[in-house]
Amino acid sequence: MSVVADAVAIGADASGWLARMRQRAFRHAPSDHTAVVLRHSRIYLLPTRRGWAVIGTLLLMLLASLNYALALGMAVTFLLAGLVAAAQLHTFRNLAGIEITPLAAGETFAGGNLEFALALHAGAAARTGIIVHSANARAGGDIAAGQALTISLAVDAPKRGRVALGRVTLTTMHPFGLWRGWAYVHFLLTGIVFPAAEIGAPPLPRGHGGTDPAALGRSDNADLAGLREFQRGDPPQRVAWKAVARGAGWYSKEFDGAGGGGPVTLAWSDLPPTLPVEERLSRLTAWVLAAERAACPFALQLPGMQLASRQGRDHRREALTALAEYPEDGSA
Amino acid sequence: MNASTWFTLRPQRGTTTVRDLLTPAQIRCLGVLLLAAQLPQAPHLPIWVAATGIMLVGLRIVLLRRDRLRPQAPPARIPSWALAVFAVAAALAVRASFGYLAGRDPSVAFLYILVAIKFLETRSTRDGTLLICLACFLLVTPFFYSQSPLAAIVVLPAVLGVGVALDALTCNRTALPAFDWRSALRRSAVMILQGLPVAALLFVLFPRLAAPLWGLPSDYGAQSGLSDSMSPGQISELSLSDAVAFRVDFDGPVPPPALRYWRGPVFSRFDGRTWSPGPFMLRGGVLPVEGPVVTYTVTLEPNHRRSLFALDLPVALPVFSGGAAPLIGAPYITIDQQLLMRAPMGAESLRYSQQSVLRSRFPAMSSLESRANLGVGEGNPRTLALAAQLRALHPDDSAYIGAILEKFTREDFVYTLAPPLFERDPVDLFLFGERRGFCEHYASAFVLLLRAAGIPARVVTGYQGGAVNPRGGYMIVRQSDAHAWAEAMIGGQWQRYDPTAAVAPSRIELGLGGALSAGEPVPFLARLDATWLTGVQLAWDAFNHDWRRNFIDFNRDRQRSLWRDWRLDQFAPWQVVALIALTIFAWGAMVVGWLMWKRRHQERALVLWDDLNRRLARAGLPRQPHEGPLAFASRAAQRWPQFAIAFAAIGESFAELRYGSVPVARERDALVATLERAIDVLPAPAALRTTH
Repeated sequence: MSVVADAVAIGADASGWLARMRQRAFRHAPSDHTAVVLRHSRIYLLPTRRGWAVIGTLLLMLLASLNYALALGMAVTFLLAGLVAAAQLHTFRNLAGIEITPLAAGETFAGGNLEFALALHAGAAARTGIIVHSANARAGGDIAAGQALTISLAVDAPKRGRVALGRVTLTTMHPFGLWRGWAYVHFLLTGIVFPAAEIGAPPLPRGHGGTDPAALGRSDNADLAGLREFQRGDPPQRVAWKAVARGAGWYSKEFDGAGGGGPVTLAWSDLPPTLPVEERLSRLTAWVLAAERAACPFALQLPGMQLASRQGRDHRREALTALAEYPEDGSA
Repeated sequence: MNASTWFTLRPQRGTTTVRDLLTPAQIRCLGVLLLAAQLPQAPHLPIWVAATGIMLVGLRIVLLRRDRLRPQAPPARIPSWALAVFAVAAALAVRASFGYLAGRDPSVAFLYILVAIKFLETRSTRDGTLLICLACFLLVTPFFYSQSPLAAIVVLPAVLGVGVALDALTCNRTALPAFDWRSALRRSAVMILQGLPVAALLFVLFPRLAAPLWGLPSDYGAQSGLSDSMSPGQISELSLSDAVAFRVDFDGPVPPPALRYWRGPVFSRFDGRTWSPGPFMLRGGVLPVEGPVVTYTVTLEPNHRRSLFALDLPVALPVFSGGAAPLIGAPYITIDQQLLMRAPMGAESLRYSQQSVLRSRFPAMSSLESRANLGVGEGNPRTLALAAQLRALHPDDSAYIGAILEKFTREDFVYTLAPPLFERDPVDLFLFGERRGFCEHYASAFVLLLRAAGIPARVVTGYQGGAVNPRGGYMIVRQSDAHAWAEAMIGGQWQRYDPTAAVAPSRIELGLGGALSAGEPVPFLARLDATWLTGVQLAWDAFNHDWRRNFIDFNRDRQRSLWRDWRLDQFAPWQVVALIALTIFAWGAMVVGWLMWKRRHQERALVLWDDLNRRLARAGLPRQPHEGPLAFASRAAQRWPQFAIAFAAIGESFAELRYGSVPVARERDALVATLERAIDVLPAPAALRTTH
């Protein structure tokens, strides 16, 4: 019994060690939190295809020189071999010391591009021909010595939810393209992908705070009643930007009778029960955007979570995030 | 300072993208590399091959130029099928020219043309890579034909060109920076220099082959040097040449001139006019003679003959060093004590170490030797009569020989490089007619006189003398040192006699230049009156000899002996590997360290900032590791309020340079200047420390 337990423990230990080594080598899991400075332990070097071709040629030259006992042939071969070796060091040096910092993760709607911002600091050396790429985004170029560069990687985001940047690879083949040097960095950087808004979604549900049923009947929106002095806290959608642009001063638009119907409630349960989950989320997204455009306070009710009726950028983001993170199988 | 440039790259699909196509500048660069690689090879090829290869490369460069001048016109293209046809035609032409195709020389010629054809259709970076590899291989082929210092120098631009072409190809991949000749050349040169230690280590330590993997072509050229027979006038003709026969490095002191008899072909058979080898060319053996052993190494110039030369008397078999040595097979010593190879020498020079005991007298190997060395051939009746007459006076062998030598000394015999032509009965004509002759005449007459008197004798040819090159400390033996002397068997022992010494004793002590009278056509380098030209020639010869001895002939044996000298053979293999790994690692650390230092040094702002930090630390205000430039500058401003403005300028300009984004070079320069001026305002650290 105890023998079996020991064996299991050893097995677990070995696999743990293996996993640790694999993580160290390939950085499959996000493990980098703050800025990473590329050191030799992270940098890999292998010949490129051109490198292999040149090395193969050098071997042929060596063979011919050895067979014919050509000292000069060997000298030229070794001279070029020295060049290849020096190129390897330069490639290493081109990567070593780069500092890469996670800056920010963006947000987008499904089907768009999710942008991640990273900062590259060259350190004391100028860097040439650095290529940064994640799963399906590439960027590249040179960094002058002592300079920091903010780069963005645009990742395809076909589906809603949290999307991690994933493993980022820094590659260089400078100089001579004989060696490919690369290093893996895996930050805990995740962006959020909101559900795509439904195109041609039905209009917003009617508000329940309206005082003028006639107006409600006419339009979902209120009629412009006039302008008043801008007050701190007025939503930007109600600022009379034309007046601001003219230089006439800051005014907010006032609407007659709050005919928009007042705060709306966007409820999961109000949607037709036959609608699939993703389509529901798309419609709710479209409504959230519509409500925000109309500067109309809204409440969001999803199975298992509620957002009180409010309005503004943060509220919108909160609502969209809740929609993005709605569990896929629908079991909240 | 280059500004940063950054692109977001879109992955492209398709076979050949724009990124993979070579720009005209890159193609030009490849063309220049090819020309540089073709140039060292061209002199060793048939003229039409050399010209075709260079012209094809030139054609592409001209077409590129045409494209640039007329950008609207469709780019000039030569269809691939035309090039294929051309390649086949070239192969056929090479075959017709050489007579065969599957050999080293035709292959080299075909490769030379093929590279140029490939260049005509080079468009993508892949083609570029292939071309660079082919050019690399083309760098080795000239050394099949010549390994002179000149050949080494001529190939260097192409080595540099490989780096430049590789650099040019990479410029494409990153789409930047634009290719720039000068920086590419500098980068290539720097990297080759940085790679030199690795190259040297490999050259010294990479194991050489003991035997070639595949056969070397036998290439027979015109024979030169001493021939396999001797007729009157042959050696005197040879002596007109300044060409080097061989060079010798002595392990100990150089023997005196009178003992420098380099034994070569031995002749026993005489037909009345021509001397030829006797029956004793069979394998004999080393004679057990005693005496101090002289050890030396001979570098024999290619002469396409089987003879090797050794000081009289060789006491060991020569030991070859060199790649071609195993093909010749083990040399042997004949019964008449000459060194022979099994096959004639190739086109490469040959090095062998040899041991000799300097003796003029040694026992005969076979009893048959005395009988075979008595033939007098046809003709020369007066000589035979003279022999009979003298023999009657001197029945003792030694006395008889002494009488002959005395005759040469006393009578008016002349030693000359320009003897008359003796057609019939040459010895008679020489002894009783002209009395003017070169060493072969004296040796021939002397041996014939001995044989006529029943004393076994033979002619030995070889070289006598040799001059030590003061610049290199080695001996040069030239064709002008060619000589013939005699050996007589007295009491079962062969004894050397040099009748020429009786006529012209200074020939032995001073060489040809000292023995001939004024007006003789003495070869330039055999003359005694050394001019500055002789000095230059000797210096050049010394350089060449060193080049070959230390570089070209650095073969397996030399390598092993070097390893022994370095005590590498005492280490276990893993220790040697560890040592090499350590050396390579140290080299890498050095180069990387140098790169870091150099790049940091280039960044002026960093240098200034580091310097300021050191100064303030000495003044008692070290920067904390967590402190940024602004925080540190403000702390310094509190400490020394009188310099607050300077510190503020320092902090702001450095922070802006280091962490801001100042893309315009001129603005960066202005900031660096501000930083520098602000730092200049501060007094020395000692003064700062005492200020409050």
